[in-house]
Amino acid sequence: MPTKPHSQDFSGFFTEAARVRDNSPLKSLTKYMNADPTLVSLGAGLPHPDTYPFAQVGAAVAPAGKSIASCSSAELLDVSVTPAASNSIESLSKFLQYGNGRGVPSYSRFAQEHTERVHSPPYADWDVVVSLGNTDAFVKALMLFCDRGDTLIVDEWTYPAIIGTVVPMGIRMAPVRMDSQGMVPEALDQLCAEWSDSAHPLRMAYMIPTAQNPTGATMSLDRKHAIYAVAQRRGLVIIEDDPYYYLQFEAYRPRSEIGDLEERYANLPGISSLVPSLLSIDVDGRVIRLDSFSKVLAPGLRCGWVTAPKYITDKIQFHNETSIQQPAGVSQAIVSKLMNEQWGHDGWERHLVQIQREYAVRRDRFVDLCLQHLKGKVDFTIPDAGMFLWFRVLLNSDMQNKPGAMQEVFDSMIANHVLLVPGYMFSPQGASPEVRDKPYIRAAFSYASMDDFEVAITRLARALEPFTSQVA
Amino acid sequence: MSPDSAKTAMAGQPLAKDLSHLFIPAQRAHQKSPFKAVMGNPTLEMINMAGGMPSPSTFPLVQLQATVRTAGQDGTLSLERTQSSGTTESLDKLLQYNDGRGMDSYCRFLRRFTELAHRPQYADWDVIASCGNTDSIAKAVSLFCQQGDHIIVEQFSFPGALCSLKFANVKPVAVSMDSEGVVPEALDGLCSSWAGATPLRAMYLVPTGQNPTGATMSLERRQAVYAVAQKHDLVIIEDDPYYFLQFGPIPAGQGADATIDEIRQQPLVPSLLSLDTDGRVIRLDSFSKILAPNLRCGWITAPAYMQDRFQILNESTILQPSGLTQGVISRLLNDTWGIEGWNEHLCTLRTAYAARRNLFVKLVSKHLAGLATFTVPTSGMFLWMKIDLGPAAADPTAMPRLLDAMKKCGVMMAPGMPFSVGPVPGHFLRAAFALADTDMFEPALQRLALAIAAIRGSTPLDAPPAMCAEPIEPAAPARIAVNGST
Repeated sequence: MPTKPHSQDFSGFFTEAARVRDNSPLKSLTKYMNADPTLVSLGAGLPHPDTYPFAQVGAAVAPAGKSIASCSSAELLDVSVTPAASNSIESLSKFLQYGNGRGVPSYSRFAQEHTERVHSPPYADWDVVVSLGNTDAFVKALMLFCDRGDTLIVDEWTYPAIIGTVVPMGIRMAPVRMDSQGMVPEALDQLCAEWSDSAHPLRMAYMIPTAQNPTGATMSLDRKHAIYAVAQRRGLVIIEDDPYYYLQFEAYRPRSEIGDLEERYANLPGISSLVPSLLSIDVDGRVIRLDSFSKVLAPGLRCGWVTAPKYITDKIQFHNETSIQQPAGVSQAIVSKLMNEQWGHDGWERHLVQIQREYAVRRDRFVDLCLQHLKGKVDFTIPDAGMFLWFRVLLNSDMQNKPGAMQEVFDSMIANHVLLVPGYMFSPQGASPEVRDKPYIRAAFSYASMDDFEVAITRLARALEPFTSQVA
Repeated sequence: MSPDSAKTAMAGQPLAKDLSHLFIPAQRAHQKSPFKAVMGNPTLEMINMAGGMPSPSTFPLVQLQATVRTAGQDGTLSLERTQSSGTTESLDKLLQYNDGRGMDSYCRFLRRFTELAHRPQYADWDVIASCGNTDSIAKAVSLFCQQGDHIIVEQFSFPGALCSLKFANVKPVAVSMDSEGVVPEALDGLCSSWAGATPLRAMYLVPTGQNPTGATMSLERRQAVYAVAQKHDLVIIEDDPYYFLQFGPIPAGQGADATIDEIRQQPLVPSLLSLDTDGRVIRLDSFSKILAPNLRCGWITAPAYMQDRFQILNESTILQPSGLTQGVISRLLNDTWGIEGWNEHLCTLRTAYAARRNLFVKLVSKHLAGLATFTVPTSGMFLWMKIDLGPAAADPTAMPRLLDAMKKCGVMMAPGMPFSVGPVPGHFLRAAFALADTDMFEPALQRLALAIAAIRGSTPLDAPPAMCAEPIEPAAPARIAVNGST
């Protein structure tokens, strides 16, 4: 089998802060401490594990692929981390002691194995480094290539935490037009071609290629190839923020067309039939991929990982070591034990299929109801993945040109006791009156109970009625 | 002001001074996220189609439990999926997205504990959850210092903080220390004569069991430093992870180790927070040394308007610490141990650390007389030695050669350089006495003595390795019982 090529070197684009990030001088002493067992080390300021009051930590977890609603307590797995290390995972005291910015090895190793299975990155020197979730990972990736005065390329509608982070850092955003599949390659290319600030060249593009927040758009593989080609032509590094990657399902079919429900959900992609990621086509090593357990295990675990060329993951490691260190040991312990010893990679896939089913069912029901109740009031692209629906409100001729119309729409929604998010909050162009009047609102179908869907949508219909009905 | 801090405000307590003029410009112009304002909309009958939150029905964890050791006995705590356990939220809530402040039950305990431990003197203080002090340092500094600014630090400081400053392009300005830490007159002189491009607005220090010097500031010293901070309108970042590991002076006449009863009687030196009438102290607390390091959990105490900033910083980075960790800590501290059990645990730690300190100091005095000087630490885990290299002192290669000789002899300590702001004024080693087996203290110090002697020249530098003591096979690891008895 031919060896994979080495990544291209983008370190020439590093910010000054990235350049100076290096190994902590104290952490680099640890290699001496571990090398010689007869050497007595009084070098590290570590507390003694005997002082930790925890003798064991564990969780009761559903068997892989079973929803918690459908399993009995007898079926629950006991995921327990004890003072004794096992073949595949460390002792509890190792999970609870200081480590480095790479995380506890067994957790990191699972992430690496999984990444190889799903994406098989096409260059040799890729690596993973732990993160506390994609928002923190984003900041660390951003700071490698963007500094005050630089500009980050983003989708024309994007994740609000990005906007909220980038603005105080003095980093600007250049929005790129989207269509139903996300960022438009020709628009990206045109932005780069017309960019005239030679003091601050465009270096980095941020995108959410699957079930994009807020538009719900998912890039096809062809689209990803086209975007990647532009990035190659224009010398861009890409942040692939992909927390909804595994929440892929199939195209929507109306309930009336579905016969057997079991058969309907028999072909969920698992991990073998997902739309391939940008990482999987990244021959140059220009993609920094952000993965998170937030939507596929639970957000409160606060753990995930970053995949990138090793010279980049090293920098993120050093940044971790001067900030968060690593994800919480308890989270890593439970996740590592579960993944490495109980679910395994096959069980993890079964779990993902079950999550896909849950979201597919929700998407189908939600879209059924929207088509039924919101006809003529909104336009939307039906999402093939994730949890978001992006409505374009079909304002009537009176409202279309009325300043403040969308604020009235929002007030009407609140008065009708239904909460969706106004589109302007997702705009990198800020909350100017012009942006505030763009007629978009985002719905999430992930959280409300399915019983509440019809109530919510009928309330939304009522709320929109005065603004969308044609004037007589 | 949160409801809890309203309750604890004593009648007649002033509010914090508004120090927002010390914020960097980007922070001064700040607004709360409008997105969060939407999400926080409280109408009861609202159906929330807004939050991009997963449904808890997809979380595969049904229960979390832990075995907790208290005074040598094991007990269990647990967290259930849909119901609160005691004061602690349900697992579903702990596992969900939450805001950047921390779980209510976690913060509630810490508010209560901070009130009891420090009795802040202004009304509108509050706590916020953190991922540990290293992250908190970076966030606190970022409020007051931007690229090119300067910040006052102790002349020897925590390398994690120094690295953080380097990456943020914030320059440390060192103030000299003595055996009690920052010298107030030096601090005053530094501030009075400051001629830098931007003003000095903040100071970072570790007032108790300082890393690396082990110094603990006395009450008088803290009052003096606070007065200088007031005079020059500085914010103080009080990084205090060893605060609750105070154990006081060596027992008179090298007598027996203090018992836990004696330790319980010993008051703690008051914190800078407890002296803070203006609201200029940002106090960083961590569970790293008092529960376990990789819990990645701590808290920040500061005026409420500053906490709003920290919340926003959290929400654009970590969000908050792991819900599992906060849940376990809350269940442990709120429901299992309570304040009394928590104080008992801290006394147990203090007693154990005191015993280690006593033994270590005794052995340092025995083996390093004439070779090193040091101040006895009264808190924490560090002993900082100034090494006398005699005739080799002027040789710039002496320190690397000493480290090399130490490695050959089979002992390792941290050299002074990573801790020093500016060139190291002498030859220093930091010894940490918390982790190594106490059986190995004496061999370690014997080996160090040999290495120092070799560099001083009293033993030939190129003597064969046999000059060093034979590496001693480690004895069966001696357990230092956490309840203080040896």
